[in-house]
Amino acid sequence: MSAVRGPERAAALERIVGSVLRAGVFASSVCLAGGLAMSLVTGGGAVTGFLLNAGIVVLLATPVVRVIVSTVQYVSERDWAFATLTFIVLLELAASAIAALVLNRRM
Amino acid sequence: MPVVTATLTLIIFAAGTAAGSLGALLGLGGGVFLVPFFNLVLGFPFSAAAAISLTTVIATSSTVSAGRAGKQLINMKLGMLLEVATAAGSLLGGVTAQFVAQSVLQKLFGFVAVIVALIMLSRLRRRNVILDPAADAGVLGGRFHEDESGGTVTYRVKRLPLAVVASFVAGNVSSLLGIGGGIIKVPVLNAWCGIPLRAAAATSAFMIGVTATAGATIYYGHGQLEPTLAAAAVLGVQLGSWGGMRFGAAASAKWLKILMAAALFIVAAMMFMRGGR
Repeated sequence: MSAVRGPERAAALERIVGSVLRAGVFASSVCLAGGLAMSLVTGGGAVTGFLLNAGIVVLLATPVVRVIVSTVQYVSERDWAFATLTFIVLLELAASAIAALVLNRRM
Repeated sequence: MPVVTATLTLIIFAAGTAAGSLGALLGLGGGVFLVPFFNLVLGFPFSAAAAISLTTVIATSSTVSAGRAGKQLINMKLGMLLEVATAAGSLLGGVTAQFVAQSVLQKLFGFVAVIVALIMLSRLRRRNVILDPAADAGVLGGRFHEDESGGTVTYRVKRLPLAVVASFVAGNVSSLLGIGGGIIKVPVLNAWCGIPLRAAAATSAFMIGVTATAGATIYYGHGQLEPTLAAAAVLGVQLGSWGGMRFGAAASAKWLKILMAAALFIVAAMMFMRGGR
């Protein structure tokens, strides 16, 4: 069964991952472009700062969401090996956020 | 932290466009060109240069992979397996970077660039392709349609442990140096693991989003990322990689490798001169 369904499943995951990446790129680009235009015109301000930081957060979150979506997809397929692997990647990404906070406190 | 001016913002946008198009042609994130430009030409601290570069690497990865998804060029299973190693390396590198002197990072950058350029030049003729479309690709292998030859390319993954080690090192170097790490993974995957150059480049480009996110999160959380300059660089790189992708399919793999090696030698020489002072 998996020999027949394998390529179909892989194609489905590729489509989902593709849409996540497209949406993330679009949202972050809109925020960054808006923030950049405002900073060039007005020279900064609260809204500018918010847009720029929102754009960066969305940019950083896009690969994370892509990994979450992959984990969910592998779990729903009962592909436990790859569900575990993608979950470990998720833990590693969480650890980098924690490391940033720890470093901030120390310095 | 560099002082943000309108001129500097526009210079960075232009640099991003150039790096993005070159990066897309070579199957890299473009960071390998941006970091030396920011650090050596504009005089940013290495950490600020690396931080901005990593955000552009993420943007390139997402843009390029979104465009390629559905063409079977990205080997998602292999990519997700290797991401475990690359994210671990990246996490370690991002933390280490906070405690290492700039001159050490510059020399490391030059060293890495030379090694990879030499590998690329020594492997110009390798193709690693099974042209029989019925051949079994195994669990981690793949197949895709190649426009150049018009045939279906099937490949198996060889020496998986080597790919895992290369991905860990690439992730580590990525966070330390602000590059995607494609310059390490692509040659290893192509030369020793049996993966055709285009599939290796597409899979690497897919993975570096995760690699760079682990590193960039540390720089961003630590206040080393200037958002305005990052925005200019990211938008420039996206414009450039959009353009580069249109030409990427037409350029031959051999010339891509030669161009890549030449660029790396120049960057390495500059980094050694600066880091040795």
